[in-house]
Amino acid sequence: MKRLSCLLVLALVMSLSLGAHAAKVIEITYWTHTDDNRTAIENKYIAEFEKMYPDVKVKRVVNEASKMGDLVLTAFSANRGPDLFNLPIEQEYGYIMQNRVSPVDYAAIGYKNADALKADYMKGTFEAVTKGGKIYGLPLELTNWCIYINKKIFRSAGLDPEKDYPRTWEQMADISEKLVIRNGDIIMRRGFDFRYPYYLVSLLPMVEQLGGQLISDDGKKAIVNDQAWLKVLKFMKEWGPHGRNLGSPTYPAPRKIWNKDNNDMAMCLSGFYQQGRLRIDNPAFFDSKEWMVVPFPKFKDAVKDVACSYYGHFLMVNAQSSKDKQEMAWKLAQYMLSHPMEYLEVVNIIIPRKDMLSSKEFKANPYMDVFMGDMDRGHSVFLHENGYQFERFIGDAVQAVMLSNVSEQQALATLRQRIQEVLDEQ
Amino acid sequence: MRRTKRFSMEQKKARWGWIFVTPSLVFFAVFSFYPIFNAFYLSFFRKNLLSLKPPAFIGFGNYTYLFSSPLFKESVVNTAIFTFGTFVPLLVLSLILAAFIMSRKRFQKFYQMVLYSPAALSSVVAAMIWLLIFDPRGLANQGLNLLFSTSGVNYHWLSNDTMLRLSTIIVYVWKYVGYFTVIFVAGIGAIPNTLHEAALIDGADRWQDFWHITFPLLKPTTLLVSVMAMIQCLKTFSTQYLFTTAGAPRQPINVLTLNIYYTAIKDHSIGRASAMSVLLFLVMLVFTWLQLRLSRTEEVTYM
Repeated sequence: MKRLSCLLVLALVMSLSLGAHAAKVIEITYWTHTDDNRTAIENKYIAEFEKMYPDVKVKRVVNEASKMGDLVLTAFSANRGPDLFNLPIEQEYGYIMQNRVSPVDYAAIGYKNADALKADYMKGTFEAVTKGGKIYGLPLELTNWCIYINKKIFRSAGLDPEKDYPRTWEQMADISEKLVIRNGDIIMRRGFDFRYPYYLVSLLPMVEQLGGQLISDDGKKAIVNDQAWLKVLKFMKEWGPHGRNLGSPTYPAPRKIWNKDNNDMAMCLSGFYQQGRLRIDNPAFFDSKEWMVVPFPKFKDAVKDVACSYYGHFLMVNAQSSKDKQEMAWKLAQYMLSHPMEYLEVVNIIIPRKDMLSSKEFKANPYMDVFMGDMDRGHSVFLHENGYQFERFIGDAVQAVMLSNVSEQQALATLRQRIQEVLDEQ
Repeated sequence: MRRTKRFSMEQKKARWGWIFVTPSLVFFAVFSFYPIFNAFYLSFFRKNLLSLKPPAFIGFGNYTYLFSSPLFKESVVNTAIFTFGTFVPLLVLSLILAAFIMSRKRFQKFYQMVLYSPAALSSVVAAMIWLLIFDPRGLANQGLNLLFSTSGVNYHWLSNDTMLRLSTIIVYVWKYVGYFTVIFVAGIGAIPNTLHEAALIDGADRWQDFWHITFPLLKPTTLLVSVMAMIQCLKTFSTQYLFTTAGAPRQPINVLTLNIYYTAIKDHSIGRASAMSVLLFLVMLVFTWLQLRLSRTEEVTYM
């Protein structure tokens, strides 16, 4: 009986110790968007990380990029957000403002403080994710857009791509007129077309070139410098079917069809990552050297030299996760991001770490000087808690002038009234 | 002495009835009733979807804002245009198609299946197919150019306000006409043959038989279909959402459900979106009540 009791006690102690061990396992949920190349390398890093920290299990969940914002938002609104996630900074900004993400744990990722972390990255990298002196995210990628040109199409229209590429928006319209092929009103080949939904990234800089702003510096007044806005809206109207009929938001996205080299898109606006996609979609065209990249144009009478805004995806940690999960999530983020060269070579995304940016291998990438030059000319995308709402209102104004033939003045008046209403409510 | 409780057959049936319906009731309570009550509750608050702060009570603030908001008025007008523009052709076409199917001696099931198949298709897939058709270089422009013997005319299916509204109506009618046709087929099938035979003996031709026998006796079905179609149209979302994300202007097709989505998910204003949902719910409730009332008064029995 005594022996049996001893055995029972021993079994109880063993099961308790096993239970305690099991409870120690930290499971980190990491939500990210689809990208097969990135999935391959990150799964490898996660396996290595789990070996380094045997008590940590990482669950990497991949979501469709277009649905990622809605999914993360609904999860956070139900207080069930992932421990680690990434989104475009325009979306992440709201999470910082609403205190839903935790500040970077500098000690966990091997830094003394925020300044030490900043010192390892390109200047201005953390501006978008800094609040009250604290940094809230680590950059997974920083992207800006330049103009990709199909040289063959230029030559077919009697243009020399090296000399005749557009430097100004006025030239862009004139060159597109030479490149466009129409069957009646229907455009069969476009010279260039815009990336319509992304008005804060690519259209607002055009307004800024002419001295305009979306909201005043004190954040109280909508639309600064009417003339700048009117000129850009007029330019867009001229671009559309009621003007010179050079393009429209209802044609397929230029970036997607440019890769096909099907003689239907001469120029498109895209980031460095386009090259990685081109290499996969159309290796023959990628290797042909029949394409080139040139800087984002500016207006002939621009008062400011502003390139396309850069935006980023930052890895962020849920402020509602337990402290040990937060610490491990930061460690995991830092471990993955400590391979910037592999992200560049395999995924074609730029993690703006100084050691990589200054390396020979980085500079040897095609047209990297163009992208980095425009990065210097540009600034981070406009950030505001209601940024998406503003972008939608700008989109409505552009579509009104381009597609519904509304006057620029009327479209601007509606835009101003809508944005002002949001600002006044705050 | 032990007393055994004896249940009557009715009580036993009722008990089993409760056992069978309880899972459905629980399901509805959790996934339908709770969100409905929550939406009513939230509509009286200002609440940012991301904020951890408790919602601020503002009474009817969201409702008064909506009644003075041009964007809300725009979406009400768009919803009304879409609903009436869709349900009339849906009703007429499905009735014609049902009459055609019932007039066939063979392949009735085949016709029903072919017409019904778009309803089984996901709304997203349907919208994607139609986006390709409405592309400036797509089949819609080619078809009209062939029909009118023109070349290169762009009918702006996705950009002109009227054409864009028409495009969304076409997609919806295409998708649901088969569904309502099947309901009409069932309605026509329920009319006893003896009535048609009597009419034919009295010298009525097929046309007279349809107008004076079939059509009046189909009144309850017609009412049911019209109210169902109207409610279905009020809930439209996927087509408009996918068209706007594909570059079509938002303003002409900014229906209530799309406005609710943008307000809640993109602008994080869940209180205001809830108020819009409540208003939409009330409109649909009126239509449902109307349907129940009319279907009761217009009931037809064949002795």
